[in-house]
Amino acid sequence: MSENKSDNINSSSSTQTDVNYWRSFEDLYKNPELIEARNHEFKNGTTDDFDPLQLSSISRRKFLALLGASAALAGTACTDYRDKGEIVPYNVKPEEITIGKPNFYASTCTVCPNACGILIRTREGRPIKVDGNPENPVNKGKICAKGQANILNLYDPERLSVPLKKNDTRFDEISWKEADNYIIKVLNEADDKEIVIITHTIISPTTLKVLEEFKQKYPTTKIYSYELFNDSIKNSAWQKCYGSGNYPLLKWNEAKVIVSLESDFLGVENNRIETARLFTEGRNVDTKKFNRLYVIESSLSLTGLNSDYRLRLRPEAQYEFVMSMINELKNKGAININTDTSSFSLNSFALKYNLKKETLNQLVTDLISNKGKAIIDAGNSLPENVHIAVNLLNAALGNSNLYRTDAAKNELLKLSSTKDIEELVSQMNDGKVAAVIHFDCNPVYHFAKDLGYEDALKKVGAIISLTEKESETSFVSNYVLPINHNFEAWGDAQTRSNIISLQQPVIAPLKNTRQKEAILLTWIDGKAEAFSEKLYYDYLMKNWETSIYPTLNSVLDFKQFWLGALHDGIIYTNEITNNPTAINSNAVTLLKNEISKTPEGYTVVLKESYQIGDGRLAGNGWLQELPHPISKITWDNYAAVSEKTCKTLGVKNNDVVEVIIEGRKISLPVFMQAGTADNVISIELGYGREHSGTVASGVGFNANILLSKNNFHNSLIYSNVSINKTGDIYELASSQEHYSFDDERTKDLAQKRHIIQEGTVAGYIKNPKFIKEKQHENLQSVYEPHQYNGVKWGMAIDLNKCTGCGDCVAACNVENNIPIVGKDQVLKSREMQWLRIDRYYSGTADDPNVSIQPMLCQHCDQAPCENVCPVAATSHSPDGLNQMVYNRCVGTRYCSNNCPYKVRRFNFFNFRDHFKNAYQESPIFALMQNPEVTVRSRGVMEKCTFCVQRISEAKAEATYNQRPLKGSDVTTACQDTCSTNAIYFGDINNKESEFYKYRNHELGYYVLEELNIKPNVTYIAKLRNINLEEV
Amino acid sequence: MNIDYSNEKSVVAGRLTLAQIEDLVAKPMGTKPDKKFFIAISISLTALLIGAISVGLTFYYGIGMWGNNQPVGWAFAIVNFVFWVGIGHAGTLISAILFLLRQKWRTGIARFAEAMTIFAVMCAGIFPIIHTGRPWLAGYLLPYPNQHSIWVNFTSPLVWDVFAVSTYFTVSLVFWYVGLIPDFATLRDRATTKFKKTIYSIFSLGWMHSNRHWTHYEKAYVLLAGFATPLVLSVHTIVSFDFAVSILPGWHTTIFPPYFVAGAIFSGFAMVVTVLVFVRKIFNLENIITVDHLEKMNKIILATGSMVGYAYAMEFFIAWYSGVSVEQFVFINRALGPYAWAYWIMVSCNVIFPQLFWFKKIRRSIPIMIVIVILVNVGMWFERFVITVTSLSRDFLPSAWAYYKPTLIDGGILLGSFGLFFTLVILFTKALPVVSISEIKAVADGAQPTHQGAENHA
Repeated sequence: MSENKSDNINSSSSTQTDVNYWRSFEDLYKNPELIEARNHEFKNGTTDDFDPLQLSSISRRKFLALLGASAALAGTACTDYRDKGEIVPYNVKPEEITIGKPNFYASTCTVCPNACGILIRTREGRPIKVDGNPENPVNKGKICAKGQANILNLYDPERLSVPLKKNDTRFDEISWKEADNYIIKVLNEADDKEIVIITHTIISPTTLKVLEEFKQKYPTTKIYSYELFNDSIKNSAWQKCYGSGNYPLLKWNEAKVIVSLESDFLGVENNRIETARLFTEGRNVDTKKFNRLYVIESSLSLTGLNSDYRLRLRPEAQYEFVMSMINELKNKGAININTDTSSFSLNSFALKYNLKKETLNQLVTDLISNKGKAIIDAGNSLPENVHIAVNLLNAALGNSNLYRTDAAKNELLKLSSTKDIEELVSQMNDGKVAAVIHFDCNPVYHFAKDLGYEDALKKVGAIISLTEKESETSFVSNYVLPINHNFEAWGDAQTRSNIISLQQPVIAPLKNTRQKEAILLTWIDGKAEAFSEKLYYDYLMKNWETSIYPTLNSVLDFKQFWLGALHDGIIYTNEITNNPTAINSNAVTLLKNEISKTPEGYTVVLKESYQIGDGRLAGNGWLQELPHPISKITWDNYAAVSEKTCKTLGVKNNDVVEVIIEGRKISLPVFMQAGTADNVISIELGYGREHSGTVASGVGFNANILLSKNNFHNSLIYSNVSINKTGDIYELASSQEHYSFDDERTKDLAQKRHIIQEGTVAGYIKNPKFIKEKQHENLQSVYEPHQYNGVKWGMAIDLNKCTGCGDCVAACNVENNIPIVGKDQVLKSREMQWLRIDRYYSGTADDPNVSIQPMLCQHCDQAPCENVCPVAATSHSPDGLNQMVYNRCVGTRYCSNNCPYKVRRFNFFNFRDHFKNAYQESPIFALMQNPEVTVRSRGVMEKCTFCVQRISEAKAEATYNQRPLKGSDVTTACQDTCSTNAIYFGDINNKESEFYKYRNHELGYYVLEELNIKPNVTYIAKLRNINLEEV
Repeated sequence: MNIDYSNEKSVVAGRLTLAQIEDLVAKPMGTKPDKKFFIAISISLTALLIGAISVGLTFYYGIGMWGNNQPVGWAFAIVNFVFWVGIGHAGTLISAILFLLRQKWRTGIARFAEAMTIFAVMCAGIFPIIHTGRPWLAGYLLPYPNQHSIWVNFTSPLVWDVFAVSTYFTVSLVFWYVGLIPDFATLRDRATTKFKKTIYSIFSLGWMHSNRHWTHYEKAYVLLAGFATPLVLSVHTIVSFDFAVSILPGWHTTIFPPYFVAGAIFSGFAMVVTVLVFVRKIFNLENIITVDHLEKMNKIILATGSMVGYAYAMEFFIAWYSGVSVEQFVFINRALGPYAWAYWIMVSCNVIFPQLFWFKKIRRSIPIMIVIVILVNVGMWFERFVITVTSLSRDFLPSAWAYYKPTLIDGGILLGSFGLFFTLVILFTKALPVVSISEIKAVADGAQPTHQGAENHA
């Protein structure tokens, strides 16, 4: 019917021509197509069966996706997003670089004269981390805090970038060519006037050769080398006893008894990395073999902190002490020293200095029963007669077989004596010096003021300083030439007779700086154009080819040998160390049988700073902020005095006193340091820098002012000092609060709370389970414990091996991009270090027992921080890590409040912006950051992650190699750097691993175990090797 | 004792007529603000501005502007938060619990106390947000669906806080508003300008004072009162969980919920008395807010103050009785350690001075009352300071201990919160009836038919 109807309509419209309603021309002219079309109600295709294949290939979803994408594209294209060009792919990819993978290069650390071998981790061509070179037999893969923090010096925005010329009071930038031309002219016109090169200790044979060539070219040249802290007294005493050679290296690991007289061998003397390793080899909980350390010192040092027995003694009395010991041992028939010591008596000595008689008797007994297995070591600052007496005593006790014969310290160039420097100054004053070249050193700061060096410089025509950063010396120089940083420079170092280590650059100079030796080579050549980037590299290689390679009888050709040496960073020489000959029997005549006058008044002991050395590293904020290993003070030095002296002087902490030595004055704050000998004032040097950049200038007090030329070279001990209270207050910033010893409520709290659990070696042998017996078994929990079936991470810290040096803290800073917060923030207790070394005193203020404990996130199984975070920003991983999700953190700080260890760190500010006018926001510092670790913003909580980035890397590696991840695949940054291997890290569930042994050690305990939060850091209780069964 | 219950004392003094009551209460809304008003509001606005600047600096630079440090993660902000939440407890207690208990005397003070509750909770609500390190992300504290599929952590007391405080605020606001509806209608009827009439009309929701309206109203009011009553107890209980749920000695204490609620009522009443003493004087409401009212509140202050004192003693007892040395240390350290000064301010202000209210003369003496209630306010602020700061500053590991010192910014923000509170209070006195007109009429003499006592049947 409908069809009929439609037909009718169609027919009517087509036939009724008289009423011509037309709608289009096609209609009017009766277009057949139109007529055809009209015959179908629906257009072609619309009534066909549904066939998806015939549909457009664009589906609804795809359409919507495209719509969305084009809208997004249109939206973003219209914003002002600019490609800031920060991520640039390699145009031509260097062969050795795989993006995202680190490269390691062996090199040598030149921060201090110990020249440890290092392995520099670089990412995409930029150094980001320093580790010890495991091939190096001295430091064996370990590196100290200074070496770690050296990376900051490389990227320091205040490093000099162009040569400077002094113009009245300001410095103008000049080109290298100008500088070279001027200086070469000066050198050539020196005639018979002296050209002086002043340098620190020369450790590089090739540098020495450059200096010698310089001398040949300019014959009036004289080279002076100095080191504020050195062992020259020890060496000269040695030479008086043995005729030749230097004081040998010691077999610390074989000693049963070690007696340190004012010697900080675990702290700042000699190569601590090696000494500490050897020392702790002799303190082994597995073999239950422990050496016994006696320390007799004036102020509490890191060595004293690790001692079993410690006596306080002012340094002037050390000679009497050694002689009394000799007398006592002679009387007991234990030794035979052919000299009269009858004026000395141990008994009266003990009485005179109020020393514990039992301890001295114990020491005598131990020395007798451990003949040939004991070391008596006198500190570098003690006078020569003490060293001679010690050498004689060691020889008489048969201890000389603990002198090492496999290697000896190597001295390339003897340090200049005070007399040399005095002569230099008078030459300068007489106008007989044409030019002074400061070869990367800072004598204006280091030299005793009464030498008059700074004034004498004014009489010198050309004062040239080769330096990385401006300093007191560069400030008074005419020409300041910027030099390459350690990691941009070539070099070699021979600090031991048996090895030479190589130093290679790992990055092209970041600024317009030059290798310091290349500068001299240019001047030797006499033409500014002679310089090229490769100048010193070629010279070094040449020198090795001609003078070192031939002595080694290598089977390789030189090229292969060279590449191998560069790869390893170290070569062994064929030099044979001679056994020390028998002691010169005449040496006894040097010992005087008379007791010097009993010292009265105050004595100043000047010491090297633990953190910043002799001041060379004062510009390094990480080191300035590293807490002092004993006092925990940052950013300052101070006058450490005993409690009794404090009372006598009527001062307390932070009171400023004036210390006067023969008219040389310094005002600095007092700090009551437990364990300091009465009437001794111990001050660290290296602080109070001037004209040395944003970080270093004005930090602490320049105690170098107290130095005198009459004591130059190491006598860092001054008697007859006067000290006055000034009435001023200067606040010291400590990372740990201090409590008075006599407050009953806070006394020995760490022990009472079982935070520190200790025992004695004797007690442990008798009852190996004494720690476990105290522990809480079967603590109940309302939660079902989570089962960890795969790898579960844990850490164990052997407190018998930890010396408390703080290297791990520095390593953690570098690895985890931890900002410097500055003194004002340390004062407010807002340090950011993820790892801290807690120090607790027990006993009395005079004779404290010190306990140390590295404290970091314990990654508790039942972490109290996790359940209080409202936004779940901290959570637990399946492998047992307590994780921190920075993006999610809103910063309520509840986690930190609920953390019983208080190891969480909050970004109270954007510290990079807050510290010293955004010094750390300098774009160059972005290069320094570890790209695997997020740089945290302000308002975010952070904490130790167990180096989760390393775990992830190891995981990826294991997955790639299709093998299961092992606990030993990962080492943490703190573990890597620990010179005594006190830190173990690994898989708790792997029963075969070495780590498992320490995790479940019978001396192991958890801090605050009774809270039942199940921490995963095991502390292996410290054993004191004292003659008692209980502490 | 022989008390004549048949002759109940009148709640409203001075035999005011209903019209007088209405005129009296509505007067501030009908007159121009005077000089005193401008002086008062300029002082409170200055304080508010100082607070705003301090918050601004904190937002710009970070929490480092405050004195907070590594062991002391919470300090002034949380102290202020708990303090203000506590202040906010009196209002609902007076209006809801006393309403359910048919305490007629509440009518004179209920409106004001409720308003103070709302303002105090507003002050309190600011602190959880500004105390976060990244306040712009404070929304993460709310459970909202998001593309990360991250939910809030329901085990955290801070999340419970978000719910507790926001619920309390909402219910208090609704309760307050419902109570205001008849008064809005009265004001609408009295309004002489079109502008006022429009506003009051909107807020009065078409209220006609009809019997039907009253029936529904009374029912709704009782229901809301019943709803608000448990909140009075729950809010501060949950706030106390912020501390009690942690493992920190000095915080981890089961006595906290009742102790906090008692303390909150204590401080809330003290604040209500502090403000009312001035309001009744300034607005000539001595007949409506009588000394009897104040005395009754002082009795509650005495009772809750003693409860708080008991809690202080009990904390010490339990610390000793537990045998946990860390716990013992915390409490001894509070009383004798570096923050002993704060502890003794707290004890003397909260426990010792309120004991003077045992004397009727003191309870009824307005000058002495003012001194004591202000001391209670100070003491209760210090109570939260002692709990928060002393526990944190010396906890488990002695190596991590540090002394906390507030900065000027901390002080500025505290001042600012008082500025905000009093600005709102002052604006309230000028914009809304500070006493419920309809309720007070209902308890005025002769307002209710009575069948007791022949003398009332003249």
